Amino acid sequence: MNSTSMKSSIRGPRGFWLLGGGNISILVNQRGVWAGTFLLCLLVLTALWSLTAGTPALTLAETIGALIGAGEGFNVFMIQELRLPRIVAGILSGAALGVGGCLLQTLARNRLATPGIIGIDDGATAFAVASIVAIPTSLAPPMLALIGAATAAALAFGLGGGGSRGYRFIVVGIAIGALFGALTNFMLARTDIDSANLAYPWTVGSLNARSASTVALLAGCVAICLPIAKILGRDLQLLRFSDAVAVGLGTRVKRTRLAILIVTVCLTAFAVAVAGPVGLVSLAAPEIARHLTGHRGVPVINSAWAGAWIMTAADWVGRTVFAPVEIPVGVITAVIGGPYLLWILLREPRRTA
Amino acid sequence: MPRHTKRMPLRRTAIACAALVGILMFASMLWGAGSLTVLQSLQALLGRGSEEAIFIVHELRGPRTVLAVLVGLALGASGTIMQSATRNPLAEPGLLGVSAGASFAVVLAIYFGADSVGLHFSIAILGSLAGCFLVLMTTQLRGAGADPVRLVLAGAAFSSILIAVTTLILLHDQRTADEIRFWVIGALGGRPTSNLVWAAPGILGGLVLVAITTPALAALSLGEKVALGLGHRPAFTRLLAMTGVAILVGTATAAAGPIAFAGLIVPYFARRLVGPDVRRALPIAMVLGPSVVLLSDILSRLAVRPYELPIGVVTACIGAPVLIAVVRSHRLPRL
Repeated sequence: MNSTSMKSSIRGPRGFWLLGGGNISILVNQRGVWAGTFLLCLLVLTALWSLTAGTPALTLAETIGALIGAGEGFNVFMIQELRLPRIVAGILSGAALGVGGCLLQTLARNRLATPGIIGIDDGATAFAVASIVAIPTSLAPPMLALIGAATAAALAFGLGGGGSRGYRFIVVGIAIGALFGALTNFMLARTDIDSANLAYPWTVGSLNARSASTVALLAGCVAICLPIAKILGRDLQLLRFSDAVAVGLGTRVKRTRLAILIVTVCLTAFAVAVAGPVGLVSLAAPEIARHLTGHRGVPVINSAWAGAWIMTAADWVGRTVFAPVEIPVGVITAVIGGPYLLWILLREPRRTA
Repeated sequence: MPRHTKRMPLRRTAIACAALVGILMFASMLWGAGSLTVLQSLQALLGRGSEEAIFIVHELRGPRTVLAVLVGLALGASGTIMQSATRNPLAEPGLLGVSAGASFAVVLAIYFGADSVGLHFSIAILGSLAGCFLVLMTTQLRGAGADPVRLVLAGAAFSSILIAVTTLILLHDQRTADEIRFWVIGALGGRPTSNLVWAAPGILGGLVLVAITTPALAALSLGEKVALGLGHRPAFTRLLAMTGVAILVGTATAAAGPIAFAGLIVPYFARRLVGPDVRRALPIAMVLGPSVVLLSDILSRLAVRPYELPIGVVTACIGAPVLIAVVRSHRLPRL
């Protein structure tokens, strides 16, 4: 009797909301929620803005009308059939890359350890290109991309000492990425020009090359992996301490590591299958999320929003700035993300992810 | 250091490596991607056989072989000196973004309409100088400089920016796209013979500059204070050595495009053979460099006949495992 009335009077610690009652209650980081709302609004605005842009440009009102099926038939077709799938592909792949980056950074305790840098992207690309040009299999490229990403991740972790040995692990990853990159070039050089053209979109990050079935696959993957990642995020918070501390606090370190790695590989592989290797999103998105959320916990969901936003914005820039020439998203993110990466590297190291 | 007691005698190793270069040069004249058989090539080399065969062997493979030797010299020496000057076993012109700087400078020059070979060489040297200064700056930073691996990451970031901007230029200007594409991919074949005339003096000059600094670099490897006590000026030495590296890498890149990993493989094996002292490793690297580049070039011709691979693919396949081996070695060797 007394205990229930006690419970209702318990309030969350400062900066947190206490949700639920009875046996289950959840602490919600207020700042995280505000940051998420902000990013989500930003994402929606950017996506709408991006929908209006192009030839012919529409007004915002026309765009929203076309989205819900009102207005001129041509506009409806253009928005719903041409522009919307592209934006959706961008949002999904950006979200997947952002979450993948966030998980891997936390796992390796190093903010530079993102799927793009340790070669998972390159592995996925190499295997996908192989399925197109070299090996006459009926396996769809996305599946082979998954195998490639898993291979690269396994190699990087196996050779790099389990990912807990700092920069060493990252350089091993760079080497593996270089090796897979060389393999991709090798296969592109070997094949005839038609297959090479077919495989080319895989080698630059672009939203131009997406196919509907691949996007559907990615959507399924995100729908499954995102909740898992959120749940794993709780254990991941403890993994930020040393292994001994994490074990002492009741985490099954090995199992958590493996689960996180699998989720990361799946997300990255399917995102690469849609958008090609746009690695720097996975570096920048968690960083933005962490900056907005503060340094409590692992911002899984906010990384997804941030990644989706970066991807949408980069695609918008690439489509409009040098129109009619379209710049691949990968180039935009590299031009913006590269200096950022340098800055992380060269300033005084104060804290790690 | 018990690990290095079994080092090989310098002179005998150098002679053995030089013999290897000779054999590989000969092999480079005999094997190619085309339909010419080895026997036909041999006949053509001696001045007999069809006119076409003689043209291929003398006019195409000959200059290419010489170019490979020159580029190998430059990359081997620059890798060794760079590792010594930054005291970092992972330093390599390709990995640290110096070659990328050189090739990007040439791309920019072409984009703005420069089209003389001599100009390309000097601009490439300027570009690699910029890359070298970035490396020097990074090593002088507290925290970042002490960590060998962070330098590599900075180089990777630098390269990725330059590659992205190059792609932008390619997309923007289709007219020069073909000419530029030729520069951003490392390849020894299809380069004009006039390249040799420009490459030879540049590489020779760079080698002289680099050779002058070796005693001071050897002293630096004992520590900054010891070097100062021995009468060397560490900052000046580093500057001079990196300028030499910039000239070597710039010339090699202008002559054959960026070839990654060659500068990593060569010093690694050179040190394995004769020990970590730069005065001993440099001469070996200078004979090993041409062997590695020649071997990679021959493999790049034979791997996908009748096509050719970019040589960077072959050097990456050899170099990436070496990189992993260096990083994995229990403690990064101190230089």
